[in-house]
Amino acid sequence: MILQVVPGGPLEMEIMRIRMGGAMGEGPSSTSSSSGISIPESAMEEIKKFYGFDKPIYERYIVWVGNLFKLNLGKSYVYAEPVWDVITSRFPVSIYFGMISFLLTYLVCIPLGVYKAVKNGSTFDIISSAIVFIGYSIPGFALGAFLLVMFGGGSFLDWFPLGGFRSNDYDTLSSVDKIKDQIHHTVLPVISYVISGFATLTILTKNSVIENLSQDYIRTAFSKGISEKRVIFYHALRNSLIPIATGLGHFLGILVAGSFLIETVFNIDGIGLLGYKSIVQRDYPVVMGLLVINTLLLLVGNIISDIIYAIVDPRIRFK
Amino acid sequence: MENKKLVEVKNLRTYFFVEATDKQITEHTENFDEKLNALYAGDKYLKGKVPAKAVDGVSFDIFEGEVLGIVGESGSGKSVTAYSITRLIPDPPGKIVGGEVIFKGKDLLKLSFDEMKDYRGKEIAMIFQEPMTSLNPVMKIGDQIIEVLLKHEKISKEEAFKKAVNMLEQVGIPAAEKRMKDYPHQFSGGMRQRVMIAMALSCHPALLIADEPTTALDVTIQAQIIELMLRLKKERKEAAILLITHNLGVVAETCDRVIVMYGGKIQEVADADSIFENPLHPYTEGLMSSLPDPDKPKQLLQAIPGIIPHILELPKGCKFATRCTKVFDKCWETEPDLIEKGKSHFVRCHLHG
Repeated sequence: MILQVVPGGPLEMEIMRIRMGGAMGEGPSSTSSSSGISIPESAMEEIKKFYGFDKPIYERYIVWVGNLFKLNLGKSYVYAEPVWDVITSRFPVSIYFGMISFLLTYLVCIPLGVYKAVKNGSTFDIISSAIVFIGYSIPGFALGAFLLVMFGGGSFLDWFPLGGFRSNDYDTLSSVDKIKDQIHHTVLPVISYVISGFATLTILTKNSVIENLSQDYIRTAFSKGISEKRVIFYHALRNSLIPIATGLGHFLGILVAGSFLIETVFNIDGIGLLGYKSIVQRDYPVVMGLLVINTLLLLVGNIISDIIYAIVDPRIRFK
Repeated sequence: MENKKLVEVKNLRTYFFVEATDKQITEHTENFDEKLNALYAGDKYLKGKVPAKAVDGVSFDIFEGEVLGIVGESGSGKSVTAYSITRLIPDPPGKIVGGEVIFKGKDLLKLSFDEMKDYRGKEIAMIFQEPMTSLNPVMKIGDQIIEVLLKHEKISKEEAFKKAVNMLEQVGIPAAEKRMKDYPHQFSGGMRQRVMIAMALSCHPALLIADEPTTALDVTIQAQIIELMLRLKKERKEAAILLITHNLGVVAETCDRVIVMYGGKIQEVADADSIFENPLHPYTEGLMSSLPDPDKPKQLLQAIPGIIPHILELPKGCKFATRCTKVFDKCWETEPDLIEKGKSHFVRCHLHG
């Protein structure tokens, strides 16, 4: 809604283009605008009709929803392609980064959280807490920009490429070099992606494990003569995973949503960059399409969360 | 009663290190012995904390085949004593700072964690007060019993399963095989305590420590639970039970000997009969008179006046001095020793000094 009201929409862009052309060539004169260059009323109507702006907003919305049920998201103004194709062509890139960030976050945070819980109050615990909280307070895109300046071949070190998903000559490389090139392009964006995610999950895991370690059943487990490892990683962790598993479903949304700003900083052509460009260019169908897909994923994610919840916690079962 | 010692607890001291006010710190840290000084020097965690002497120099024996009761109010140190035997004191804040626990000739307090594992569950099993929270909520009942069996006995999974079913049947759980797949929340409190007992008895331990096993249960189920515990002795004659309770009725019914604890110290030890017929310590007397007498209805319940003082504010002399009805000057100054009064009847009181 807000997007529709903001000036600078396709209509104005088109008008602008005609005006530019008009300024050079010979603009047929009839309606005059403030700048003095004029567009004929009939042409104006035609442009409006082309974009569907001749109808009032509610009518456009009803048509759009109707098309949605026919799985038709409309056509992009900018790319002149179906919105669905525009979005799906960006999926692999965003899923690639999403998956890596997801795995990295869980693989690091859960063991770290458990270890911090066991060593609660130790120097390691305090220092690692400080680090994850500093990470938490750094915006990913700002870190991205900083990393690019430091390591992207700018003024300091030239370790990593300036951006992009792959090198331009990616297709000509051998398969080993392909992997190398891919990793080379992945490191900096992934760091920016995960940096703020560490804190939440690590501290959640830690607190959850600490809480569970003080439970009566842990004492029972020890009294049975079970090794400390098994008590922590089997008895306590299994219970601690309940709140963590609940967050798993929501990650589905993040998985493909990408990040507007990080993808922009690193010039990665994923969903995030697409969304950013679409908003700037007022490509309404794409923006709306992204909104639909994100909302759907969020809903599906919620259902997945509930299912996972029921799997890890036997006290919650569907009938 | 046989006279072979199963467990010998000698001068056990278990302290909890708690944060305290400056005044308490000066009061409680001036009389440190070498051991405590060394402990404080070696652990910066203890800085600014004072030892709360939950168990302070407790010595007793558990003989084979006997049921030994430890009674006392909440906070008297009875549970901490029991947990010290299996070394289940949460550290921090708790530490066993001294003493010996000799079990079958080995000092359990000197064992490493790994060596201790072989005793827990196998030789010494425990039952806890809260059956509602003492079982892992996300593990099947059957798996929790099988876990103990697989840890301590060299049997296959199938055998362990069969044995676990058998154990559940023995503690009176109907449709045991089907219920093996159930989770704790599908059981009632009494049923869970039965499961706990099945788990504790599955390896036929030499010592069963029961920490207020009936406190959280309905009165109607209490007797059944006690009976199930005593079943251990039918199968293994030399097995002993350490029963921690504040229910004197349970003590009268089941215990051979009784230890009365107050303020982290043993106040009186005697046969169950002598304790009930001839209590020597004023605290024991108080406990006895707080039992309602069914022959005299409409009589007001007798209670020991006051409450247990905060563990850091226990008196210097006799720990019970603040609440004792027969207190005199000497009680405040020096702490009485535990002395023998009659056959294996010990008491810590100046009245009998």
